[in-house]
Amino acid sequence: MDWKGYTAIYVVLFTFATAQAVVEFAGLVDSAYWAAFALIMVLSVVKAVGVAAYYQHLRWEPRAVTYLVLGGTVAALALTGAAAYSIL
Amino acid sequence: MSHDHGLPPKSSVSRWFLTTNHKDIGVLYLITALFFLVFGGTLALLFRLELISSGADLLGSMGYNQAVSTHGLLMVFWFISPFAFGFANYVVPLQIGADDLAFPRLNALSYWLYLFSGILMGVSFFQGTTFAGGWTMYAPLNTPAYIPGEGLGATSVVLALIMFTAAVTLGSVNFLTTMYRMRAEGLRMRDIPIFSLSINLTVWMMLFAFAALLAALMILASDHILGTTYFQYSIDGTTMATDADNPGASLLWAHLFWFFGHPEVYIVFFPALGVMAECFQTFTGRRLVGRKWFIISMVLVALQSFVVWMHHMFLTGINLPIKTIFMATTIGISLPFDLMVFSLIYTMAKGRVRFTTPFLFSLGALILFIIGGITGVFLGAIVLDYQFRGTYWVVAHFHYVMVAGATALFGGLYYWYPKITGKMYNERLGKIQFGVYFLGFNLLYFPMFIAWETPRRVFVYPDGLQIWHTMATVGGFILGASFLIMFYNLFVSLWRGEDVGPNPWEYATSAEWAVSSPPPLENFPGVPSYATGKLEFLDDETVVERTERAPGAAAHGHAATDGGTATDGGAVTARAATTATAMESAHEVSGEEHANHASFWPFLVSLGGFITFLGLSGVRTGSVFYLTMAAAGGVATIGSLVGMTREPFHAPEMAIAERWPFERVEKMKLGMWTFLASDIVLFGAFIGSYAFVRVAYGWTAWHHDLIPAEHVTMPGLINTYLLLTSSFLVVLAMVAAERESKRGTVAALAGTFALGVGFLINKGLEWNHLFHISTETFPSGWNLSTNIASSTFYLTTGLHGAHVTIGLIICAYMTVRAWNGAYQGDDRAIEYFGLYWHFVDIVWLFLFPLFYIL
Repeated sequence: MDWKGYTAIYVVLFTFATAQAVVEFAGLVDSAYWAAFALIMVLSVVKAVGVAAYYQHLRWEPRAVTYLVLGGTVAALALTGAAAYSIL
Repeated sequence: MSHDHGLPPKSSVSRWFLTTNHKDIGVLYLITALFFLVFGGTLALLFRLELISSGADLLGSMGYNQAVSTHGLLMVFWFISPFAFGFANYVVPLQIGADDLAFPRLNALSYWLYLFSGILMGVSFFQGTTFAGGWTMYAPLNTPAYIPGEGLGATSVVLALIMFTAAVTLGSVNFLTTMYRMRAEGLRMRDIPIFSLSINLTVWMMLFAFAALLAALMILASDHILGTTYFQYSIDGTTMATDADNPGASLLWAHLFWFFGHPEVYIVFFPALGVMAECFQTFTGRRLVGRKWFIISMVLVALQSFVVWMHHMFLTGINLPIKTIFMATTIGISLPFDLMVFSLIYTMAKGRVRFTTPFLFSLGALILFIIGGITGVFLGAIVLDYQFRGTYWVVAHFHYVMVAGATALFGGLYYWYPKITGKMYNERLGKIQFGVYFLGFNLLYFPMFIAWETPRRVFVYPDGLQIWHTMATVGGFILGASFLIMFYNLFVSLWRGEDVGPNPWEYATSAEWAVSSPPPLENFPGVPSYATGKLEFLDDETVVERTERAPGAAAHGHAATDGGTATDGGAVTARAATTATAMESAHEVSGEEHANHASFWPFLVSLGGFITFLGLSGVRTGSVFYLTMAAAGGVATIGSLVGMTREPFHAPEMAIAERWPFERVEKMKLGMWTFLASDIVLFGAFIGSYAFVRVAYGWTAWHHDLIPAEHVTMPGLINTYLLLTSSFLVVLAMVAAERESKRGTVAALAGTFALGVGFLINKGLEWNHLFHISTETFPSGWNLSTNIASSTFYLTTGLHGAHVTIGLIICAYMTVRAWNGAYQGDDRAIEYFGLYWHFVDIVWLFLFPLFYIL
């Protein structure tokens, strides 16, 4: 990827970060907490995938590297999700 | 000197401080682990003497609690796994056809960190009292408020465990990179010997499980040293307050600990299973029956091991549906084990058994494991667990499992002793030891099943059970005596044992038996290859010829330094690099030219870490002695790390090797990605801890009750912009380096550094502001100890800040190097740094919304 591609990704990341703050500044967190929660977290996931895929070049690496990363992610999510569920 | 990789002879003491060779380090692991076996075993004999009669009349109550707790910690952490990894270090490279591990200096660093972590554990006994809250270190008994006295010894134990976990993580990265980048040509993953395969699965589990433990320990260390309140309850008179602001404290520790703890059972047992399979094959003269299904079963267990941890928590307040799910997964995990057990039994039935010492220990381990496994199924059933939890049933069960593993490993010690020493042990004494060992083992642990109503970790028990405890104590001493026979046998055989050739065992077929005993420093007389279906050693010309014919085989085999950054080469074509690497490797093989593989830095880094941690253990007292030690140790550690980075150390990739599924991922890059996968779990556990305690408190009430209005979004948003921009600059630095623009590379790296510093300054200003607010709800500021929300905020973003700081040190180093002309035409070093820096960026992308918006 050349510098133009990297710049385009940067602009998207910057915009999404701003959008997350705007959700709060607009009062959505107070008026519709869980909708705001979902929106903000989805934006974070999209940004993270963007950084990993393009800045860390996961898109061009063998799939096994992606599975390695997903392994760690799934383990962390399993711990968080199951532990939180256990006390609901 | 050149033929010894710069290492002094083995008779020289300095050799053992300088070595980075996998076989030397394997021997160091074995000897050190056996020392900790004696240490932990002596403690066990002490409290077994105490238990001859009910009451703490020998050791005293605190003495008893310390002995029991540290016995468990020493045996689980400092003996069994490191003992297995002594064999793994020695044998795995030989079995897969590698000349060493991928990162030899990192391997030495793992060992020294392990040794010094054990020394720190030992020192803790001399700091008043050591840790006395049980090896599971349940909260809140693991926090200073619940530890008698100053509790400095307990803090040292926590820090020692952190040091140990760091060693394990480095080892996991190293083994995985080795096994995926350095297998002999033609050796598929499924075909590697079963011991190496068991180690492969073990390190996968270690990579993720120990990251969760590291998170738990870092949080606990923070509670001890910084005053955060993760694991502490508020006290209401003499009872725990039901309206405390941290209702999830105790359960949080249990979740984090057992998320690590259950895979740890298999981390301990898998290498033993590998040894058993090797010994069964060799001494029955029969290939493992159902080998494919044996391997599939191991893979299944490795995966399932991460979804059974809550069966250790059936007696806590977790809800019934989750208990039921975990009961099902627990019963489920026993099924692949059934298959493995039947495979071993059937191998024995189909073959012709030779009852050598290694086989006897392997068979004994199988029998003990069957008993341990069956009695464990009882504990997986919720209703039975209600009765058995916290009793000697559990103690007996897990000793039948864990020490069964150790039993197989002692078999492994006899099995590979001739390979390691070149001498044969005394077979008769070996068999006698097995007899005494097996008798002692069962006399020690079986009565515990009968006396199961004895409460665990308590020195008082009903009078009617005394006979069983007396039997157990006698058994303990018999078991201990069996090791005197073993030590005598192995020690004397070093001089009196018969010399052995490459293969003293008929039917042993793995590659370590194809070379002399002990093997030469470079392992093989040529480059190992299985391309024709059998093991061959290729000479220099064949390697170069074969590499040129298929350049892809080594196109990613650039030489790289071992320590974090790749060497800075000029613009070389892939083909030239391929041939160069092949020549280099061929020269290594023929002994014409050897890189210097002696390094004192791993020892010094670990010594520095030890002094730092010892100092940190007493920082909370404000003692000048401890503060000075922490500061001096910190300087020594950083200085040694710089020295290690600057030291020339050359460990080329193999010219031709089997690398599925990471063919196109250089070893430095694969090492970095593997480390990051572990770091994902570390941060995941921190974020998971935050989510857990917030759910326990009440997710939406959290923000209103515990966080001041002064904690606003803007500082977080500014830091998000700073980090995103810095990530962008790192990729621009790569582009500039590719284009050989020195000015562009330096500018982009310097920009990254400046933005990172800006991030830290902004964070510092924000923290300082929050520390000093004075409101009606928070009249004394909002600091680390104010409440659980402040603890999670400062510690999680602080861990992230520490990652930023480490990144900045690397970035500053690289900026200077770029200024001096490095990286032009070769952007790999910047790419590897970028992987880390972008990861730090990604973590912040989640911390920002969780800690600033939601």
